[in-house]
Amino acid sequence: MSRSYLFIPGNTPNMVQNLDIFESDAVIIDFEDSVMSYDKDAARILIQNFLQKFPLQEGTIYIRINDVENSHFEADILATRDLKIAGYVLPKASVEAIDKLNQLSSGLSIIPIIESPIALLESKQIATSKNVIGLLFGAEDYTKEMGIERTLEAKELLYPRSHIAVVCRAYNIEAIDTPYTAKDDDAGLQQDAMNAKALGFTAKALIHPNQVDTINRIFAPSPEEILQAKRILKKSEELQKGAFSLDGKMIDLPIIEKAKKVLEKAQKYGL
Amino acid sequence: MGQNNKTQKPLVNSIDELFAFIDIHENKNISFHHHLRNGDGVINYVLNKYLQEEIMDLNLFPSSIFPAYTKILELIENHQINDITTNYCNGGVAKYISQHGLPGTLTMQTHGGRARSIQEGISKIDIAFIAAPYVNIYGDAIGYDGKSSFGSMGYAIVDSEYAKITVLVTDHLVENQIENPEILGSNVDYILKVDSIGDNTGIVSGTTEVTKNPIGVKIAKNTSKLLFELGLIKNGFSFQSGAGGVSLRVTKDLRDIMIRQNIKASFFSGGITKYHVEMLEEGLVETLYDVQCFDLEAVHSLKRNKNHVPISASMYANPVDPMQVIKDLDIVILGATEIDLNFNVNVTTDSHQTIIGGSGGHSDTASEAKVSVIVSPLLKGRLSVIKDRVTTITTLGKNIDCLVTERGIAINPLRQDLINKLKDSNLKICTIQELSELAYQYTNKPKDIIKRERIIGEIEDRTHDIIDYLYQK
Repeated sequence: MSRSYLFIPGNTPNMVQNLDIFESDAVIIDFEDSVMSYDKDAARILIQNFLQKFPLQEGTIYIRINDVENSHFEADILATRDLKIAGYVLPKASVEAIDKLNQLSSGLSIIPIIESPIALLESKQIATSKNVIGLLFGAEDYTKEMGIERTLEAKELLYPRSHIAVVCRAYNIEAIDTPYTAKDDDAGLQQDAMNAKALGFTAKALIHPNQVDTINRIFAPSPEEILQAKRILKKSEELQKGAFSLDGKMIDLPIIEKAKKVLEKAQKYGL
Repeated sequence: MGQNNKTQKPLVNSIDELFAFIDIHENKNISFHHHLRNGDGVINYVLNKYLQEEIMDLNLFPSSIFPAYTKILELIENHQINDITTNYCNGGVAKYISQHGLPGTLTMQTHGGRARSIQEGISKIDIAFIAAPYVNIYGDAIGYDGKSSFGSMGYAIVDSEYAKITVLVTDHLVENQIENPEILGSNVDYILKVDSIGDNTGIVSGTTEVTKNPIGVKIAKNTSKLLFELGLIKNGFSFQSGAGGVSLRVTKDLRDIMIRQNIKASFFSGGITKYHVEMLEEGLVETLYDVQCFDLEAVHSLKRNKNHVPISASMYANPVDPMQVIKDLDIVILGATEIDLNFNVNVTTDSHQTIIGGSGGHSDTASEAKVSVIVSPLLKGRLSVIKDRVTTITTLGKNIDCLVTERGIAINPLRQDLINKLKDSNLKICTIQELSELAYQYTNKPKDIIKRERIIGEIEDRTHDIIDYLYQK
């Protein structure tokens, strides 16, 4: 359960050495798009050495490896599977690619990126594949493959976002929204994240550390939500009933369970 | 004094004409201000005359030295300068002195210490050459009007009052009265009219924009949280920050807190930027006390807003001036090239002993403010900002209260009151030793490379105490 997934280029020492200070719940060290092919071995060596010397908090580090068709796919996994990482982010995801990754990675978590129309159609099978803990929507490649323009308003993303959020919620895995690329537009980021949250996303990926605060705030329960959750659970304990009324509204088991989740999140994030 | 009582000052139209009145061989202690920074056209113009005349044994008292002041370097290379007394030194002059020294001494003072030293007659100035963008025929002058306006004339005022001969150098001479002049005609001996005193766009030097660097943003965030948790951000508080990107980010973060909590500050002081001006115009601060403008927006504000007040370096930071503004300062945010385990701070040299700056108002404000905060990345490139002992002490550790880095905050053990206030804080508070060890995990401990054979200069605190020496590289 994370609110923010921050991408950090795997070949940039001054970013890597600071990856734990930006307060992102999870970090995705990138071996793919932000690393040129001639630098990919250097990235692997840097990350191996860094994570061996500075093991970071458990469950917070993922590595975006190169896709299954790329010649670096296997080397990326072999170089990192024994490090203290939570798992892999898999680009150009397919069921077959996940199987291949599972064969090599010995049980680490997998977050496939849904970034093509075919992956969107297969998202149910992808979501239910072994070791998959969430789906990450990749809007840049998706819009490219759809032959449509990506806009900041993101109307063109409404369908794939809704679809991915529904699939993730159906199979109780994390729904991670695509990064907002206008890195200096905080108001736009805020709106984009709120839209994603409203559709059912539980987290958002991001490409700049200065976006972390906004994302963490939006994907955390608000003070009002926390207060209401506490009131619901208190009354539920007092009444020992499966259904009751609070402020004139009916409270039943799903709402009580939701309140528990809110408090669980609040506790995790120290709210 | 009414206009009728004022007398016109002798007007000359060239440096040659000026020295027909003044004996160039008898007046060798000369001062300049640095308000035009790298846009200054006066210092080189005047010193060129000393080069041509091959005047020896000069002693210079520029308030600061910037890379554009190339004639100083030529005079040094010609062995025409003995001593230099200044507050900040950067560029070719700094590099040369670091490598070769001077025949005499380089004395690095503070802004307040310079004013005090001139007032007390320790720094004896024969001729003060003062670039002035708006001058009347009676010798009154302001810095925030005229085609070359650069804002406050803070550093030049004490020179005008105490120099044996004061020369205003201007490119804008008027006949009308000037209301509230910064330089009083009664202190002026000559007006030298030139085509241009310089390019005022050159007053912007270094970073004067809010940082977007994520490390800087994180440090600023930690700093504003710290100040808030210490209970310092409250109605009527006073504040000073430099023009560095992180300091300005702290200012911006404070602005957000002030708007949210409906807090109004009493004053901001020191070097003023557009960000301070915006907060004045938003009603978030009552008064700006301006000793130097860091950008043209600040210059324009000084001209139009009566709550934006130009002050002299003495009123700013002279410890024996009863009007000293910074004695009422609650918070100052400062940078550091290095800090050591005793909280001594270096902003004068780099770790290879090359002079790269100087105190300016660093030591002054750290000494006077109720809480002084150093903001710095813990790791600068491949080096830790924390040393066992700084290369050069600019500001004594007893005057530094907090160090804020991206990985934690260290409070000077001399400030138990602050430590107690933070005992239940969620901020990562640690000792400076702990921060140092954390940094060394990444960088390892570098070898000490300081050479301490030949002294080439001294660091003079505002108290007149010599707190450290500069050594030849």
